[in-house]
Amino acid sequence: MQVSYSQDEQKFRDEVRAWLKENTPDEIIAQTLGGSTLDPELQKKYHKILAEKGWIGPAFPKELGGAGFGEMEQFIFNYEYSVSGAPRLKTQLMSVGMIGPLLLQFGTKEQQERFIPDMLSGETIWCQGFSEPNAGSDLASLKTKAELDGDELVLYGQKTWISIADHADWMFTLVRTDSSGRKQQGITFLLVDLKSPGVTVRPIEALTDHAPFCEIFFDNVRVPVANIVGKMHDGWNIAKALMQHERLNAFPIGELVYAVETVRKNAEKTKFRGKPLIEDPVFRRKYSLLEIDCQALLDTFFMLISQLKTGTAPGPQTSFLKVYGGELYQRVMDLDHEAIGSYGMSWYNEEFGNDVHQATMGMINSRSLTIWGGSSEIQRTIIATQVLNLPRK
Amino acid sequence: MDFELTSEHLMLKESAASFVKKEHSFERLRKLHNDPLGYTDDVYKKMAELGWMSLIYPEEYGGLGLDFSFALGLLEEFGRGLLPEPWLSTVMLGGNLVLMGGSESQKEEILPEIASGDLKMTAAYLEDDGMYELNFCSVSATKNGEGFSISGKKIFVLDGCSADKFIVTTRTSGSVTDKEGITLFIVPRDAAGLEIKPVKTMDGRNACMLEFKDVSVPESAMLGELDHGLPVFSEVMDQATAAICAEMVGGMSAAIDITCEYISERVQFGKAIGTFQALQHKAADMFIQKELSASAMYYAFASIEEKTEDRAMAVSVAKAKCSAAYLDVTKTAFQLCGAIAFTREADIGFFLMRAEVAGILFGDTDYHLDRYATLKGY
Repeated sequence: MQVSYSQDEQKFRDEVRAWLKENTPDEIIAQTLGGSTLDPELQKKYHKILAEKGWIGPAFPKELGGAGFGEMEQFIFNYEYSVSGAPRLKTQLMSVGMIGPLLLQFGTKEQQERFIPDMLSGETIWCQGFSEPNAGSDLASLKTKAELDGDELVLYGQKTWISIADHADWMFTLVRTDSSGRKQQGITFLLVDLKSPGVTVRPIEALTDHAPFCEIFFDNVRVPVANIVGKMHDGWNIAKALMQHERLNAFPIGELVYAVETVRKNAEKTKFRGKPLIEDPVFRRKYSLLEIDCQALLDTFFMLISQLKTGTAPGPQTSFLKVYGGELYQRVMDLDHEAIGSYGMSWYNEEFGNDVHQATMGMINSRSLTIWGGSSEIQRTIIATQVLNLPRK
Repeated sequence: MDFELTSEHLMLKESAASFVKKEHSFERLRKLHNDPLGYTDDVYKKMAELGWMSLIYPEEYGGLGLDFSFALGLLEEFGRGLLPEPWLSTVMLGGNLVLMGGSESQKEEILPEIASGDLKMTAAYLEDDGMYELNFCSVSATKNGEGFSISGKKIFVLDGCSADKFIVTTRTSGSVTDKEGITLFIVPRDAAGLEIKPVKTMDGRNACMLEFKDVSVPESAMLGELDHGLPVFSEVMDQATAAICAEMVGGMSAAIDITCEYISERVQFGKAIGTFQALQHKAADMFIQKELSASAMYYAFASIEEKTEDRAMAVSVAKAKCSAAYLDVTKTAFQLCGAIAFTREADIGFFLMRAEVAGILFGDTDYHLDRYATLKGY
């Protein structure tokens, strides 16, 4: 058993840490935890800084412009990246993080050559369009129709809850190409140019006065069959493979640690009975509970990485990372909001500073963590039936 | 960084599993429930024959000289089966204190006897007004001719009815909560002036209250240095705390297995109740709590083994987590199994009784949260 990083790992960590400190603009750190309000132009700018360093795709092969990191390096990089306060880049998350690796696995050579270089450079922004108004947790019941017409598919329908679609150039999506069999059959995985005629992107106004996501309407949109990933009607299996790419790196553990530290900073700034709030025994206990829960989750990541190193791929039990991590993140943001006292009534405050924006936006935005990508309820059912083998019926 | 157990670790864990299966059962636990000791010497002796009493002690003292992490698998299996033999008190408290704080002659005298299973030891440190704090010590040891005279009361001495010797924390100088001025003494069970009051714990095991009335001990009974007993005592307590966390994780795994098996078979409304999401989601939460506890416990073991600076913190994270989780898991198990859980006929209830005791032993969740915050400096 070895708990600390090896010499090589330490060297790598120090290198990453030093570089991030040197090259992450303050203006971008200031927007972390605010999450969805992050300015896309700023994201693009930082994407390019990372791309030039060769670190834009931690898991992506080196020969294609990625970083080509091993499992441990990926973890260290992702952890140091987010604990530094640098935000999750949506320009990167959906492209290099999601569709890029999928194209390497299932895409044609033409698709790879056409799309991957622009993903890495940050030229193209991608979004993911899976959900529909009546297909959320029950994704396989999706209805957006695509009919074959010559060498094109003609799309008709609606997708929703699509993050940054209003800034995206391309979308990967699931459409129904056959309704005759089981609902999981007859789905096709498709790449859609959002500049195509018949595409309407409508931002959805959210409680936070921003538009964190959009809905998209397809009115007879023509998409070449060359844009199908994998085989026609086999999109469900492709989508399942996509979920496996998320694995460990789907949950931003470093960002959680950053958030916990933010709570402490705020609780040192806020005064109660003339003393820092952190010294109040009740608050201190609440805070230390979050810290130990956070540490236990971090320890779990270390355990899983140890397993990855020996080639034991984590299976459905990683569902618990999303459930517990998401719920813990929400508890952290709730306490962060509590820690700023009266300032928590406003979205922004120039006197208290950016911490107000982080606390209020972060608290609201963190609600999404237990909803997107398979809600906590879905994940608990997965744990019950696939890990604990409880009967389905 | 590496948390994987080696094949040697796993072999020991497997042999512990088959030992528990062969020598122990819930039926045995039921029979021992009203026994004053709550365990039997024949099983204890067999454990000693396998070398388990001296697993982590160096070979020069009759030990196997294995790394600390070897205890992990052993304890997980003890926890799974709720094996009641006083391994933890003798090996992790008594013997470990001698190993880490004792003189060469104390080690040579005591450790081989522990290894052979002929000597059982424990630590007496809890007091009525100190809750779980190790530095709270009012039992006094005053110089008395060639030796010392000990007076005062210690409570809930783990496995105190079976221990042949106690290692006692005493106040030799300073005030009652000072970290300095604590001295450790080895006191035999039959010392004149020592009153032993047996206590049965909820889990069917034993403890005792100790009343010292001018108990005379020679200077050679002192373990370590005068007034400087606390650092070594804390270090040993951290190891024992990590150890009980491993036992608790084993207990959680077993409680989850038993519960899932039960709700997969129990039929109501025409189907297995385990098909209902209301129950499935509770079962999923039990699993989540167990996984996190296990990770925190592994991290604590690895920190101790590597002697990292933050090992005391790692131990408090693990115990805060395990105490809360074991109680949560076993209470949920109780709820999911329903009325049958109340009966002595069902196995599941034994785990809640153990969770209640283990949750408190070496400090509960709140104690370790507070300790963690203090160690972190806020």
